[in-house]
Amino acid sequence: MENNSCGFKILENHPADVRVYVRGKTKQKLFLNALLAMNKILDPQIRTRVKSISRKIKIKSIDLNALIVDFLNEVLYQVQTNKEIYFQVQFKKFKDTEINAELIGRPFESLKEDIKAATYHNLEIKRKKGFFETMILFDV
Amino acid sequence: MFKPMQKENLQKINDYLWEFKKSGKMTVPARIYISSGMLNEVLKDRSTEQLINTSTLPGILGFAMAMPDIHEGYGFPIGGVAAMDLEQGVISPGGVGYDINCGMRLLKSELSEKEILPYLDQLATEIQKEVPSGLGKGRQIKLSIESLDKILKGGAKRLIEQGYGEKDDFENCESNGFIEEADPAVVSEHAKNRGRDQVGTLGSGNHFLEIQKVEQVFDQETARRLGLFPGQIVIMIHTGSRGLGHQIATDYIQLMMRKMGRYNILLPDRELACVPFRSSEGQNYFRAMSAGANYAWANRQMITYFVRKAWKKIFGENIFLKTVYDVAHNIAKIEKHQVNGKEKLLLVHRKGATRAFPAQPVLIPGSMGTASYVLVGTEQGKDSWYSTCHGAGRTMSRHAATRTLSGQEIINQLKAKGILVKCYSMRGIAEEAPQVYKNIDAVVEVVHQAGLSKKVARLTPLAVIKGE
Repeated sequence: MENNSCGFKILENHPADVRVYVRGKTKQKLFLNALLAMNKILDPQIRTRVKSISRKIKIKSIDLNALIVDFLNEVLYQVQTNKEIYFQVQFKKFKDTEINAELIGRPFESLKEDIKAATYHNLEIKRKKGFFETMILFDV
Repeated sequence: MFKPMQKENLQKINDYLWEFKKSGKMTVPARIYISSGMLNEVLKDRSTEQLINTSTLPGILGFAMAMPDIHEGYGFPIGGVAAMDLEQGVISPGGVGYDINCGMRLLKSELSEKEILPYLDQLATEIQKEVPSGLGKGRQIKLSIESLDKILKGGAKRLIEQGYGEKDDFENCESNGFIEEADPAVVSEHAKNRGRDQVGTLGSGNHFLEIQKVEQVFDQETARRLGLFPGQIVIMIHTGSRGLGHQIATDYIQLMMRKMGRYNILLPDRELACVPFRSSEGQNYFRAMSAGANYAWANRQMITYFVRKAWKKIFGENIFLKTVYDVAHNIAKIEKHQVNGKEKLLLVHRKGATRAFPAQPVLIPGSMGTASYVLVGTEQGKDSWYSTCHGAGRTMSRHAATRTLSGQEIINQLKAKGILVKCYSMRGIAEEAPQVYKNIDAVVEVVHQAGLSKKVARLTPLAVIKGE
């Protein structure tokens, strides 16, 4: 699987948007890998000689499937308004309908791609062979 | 496992119109305006399944419809049109898309190709410098929330009043560049924050600016009315409401998913999330979407201002760029239509479809390096709630495009055709290569033959510009 070491794969079966396959040993790892897949699409030019930054986020959703989308869209908001890219997440609270977390990242110079949003389109988190996995469609 | 829809499920109405009869949970039949040759390609993805899902929405009238540039989206297919009864029907952000009022603007000059060619590179470079993509860096100016609210309320008109355009600009704009029902109070702080530094930015993906020439005129009378002539230089702008619009869609899809249960709405795809138009949530989305649409008109107005600035640097103060028209292709609007012989107000969702009222100009962009079109709406367009296509429609994913095509090769191919490309991202060029789109001429031929809109002029690119 391409990008396997990161726990995600960008697929080629959606003509207009970008569909990714994501998996993780735990739900937290699944969410982190989804964030890293989003970073891969955004393709930032990161500013290196600056200190890392942390941002607190809180999300409440109707279920786990919605939670991963709402999490990604909140991170996307932080990316676009703070001009920062986040590559670590410290989950302070993780329930199927609620997250409190701290995002760790760095400022960027620019992005090569814009993402409009992570979508709920046909999204279903499943457990298979010891992994949580799902497809996520990003509108770009 | 995805099972492609079969051609046998479709009934041919005429050479350019096919229908899925009402079955299962469909409340109306579904129709696709397409040629027989293009239909096979469409049946390969989920777009027809998405069209059928759209036909299950409460309060949909007539048919769930798709234009010939239909392709797979989420919720509605791209190229989808659905009109709803205002009292019984729903409003769905998935029927508008995340890029609220993504649309087109066309500017015309008085110069011909011959007169501009010696300055083409210089002009394209100046335009690229003036119009940023806004990808992360944003603009230098960050608007206050108060200033932004005025744009959300007043659209392009607000910027013109401040000196960023001329009266002609909003007069030649769909809805005069603003929707009155817009209410900044129902737009979230998140959305406003995303929009504060993006007025006048192009964005990425298929958004572009092109310097084009009028290659061919099909309808002399309409071309004359619009001030278009063969060999004329025009400038086309394709962009939308940027992060602000995307966030409005995100916020309201999330809200509607929570509230749908209250209205006993069950849907096959969460991206079809909707609520009754008359509900408080429905009204709030409509007002917020209208604010997003106004932001997009203001965005295209500010880009027009920057393009004029670049133009004046090269050609001076006395050669003008005037707006031919500005039209949305991702929007929901309240419009008067005939239903069973009676005039009725409807909510028309157009997602990747363009309004085409009789005599109204329609702007259809091609893919990078291919032709674009000016069309005009017709009386016959009533069959599709006066809607027509919006572009070529993708056939290959962005990732597959970057894997199989080289940005530099595309630049070389376009250069060989005399087309200049000003874009900083090789990946962006490969993703938008002409090979990954349907043939625009074939798409436009369908709407022309079906009578949804008629060809006025074919425009070909001289320079393609993506923002810095």
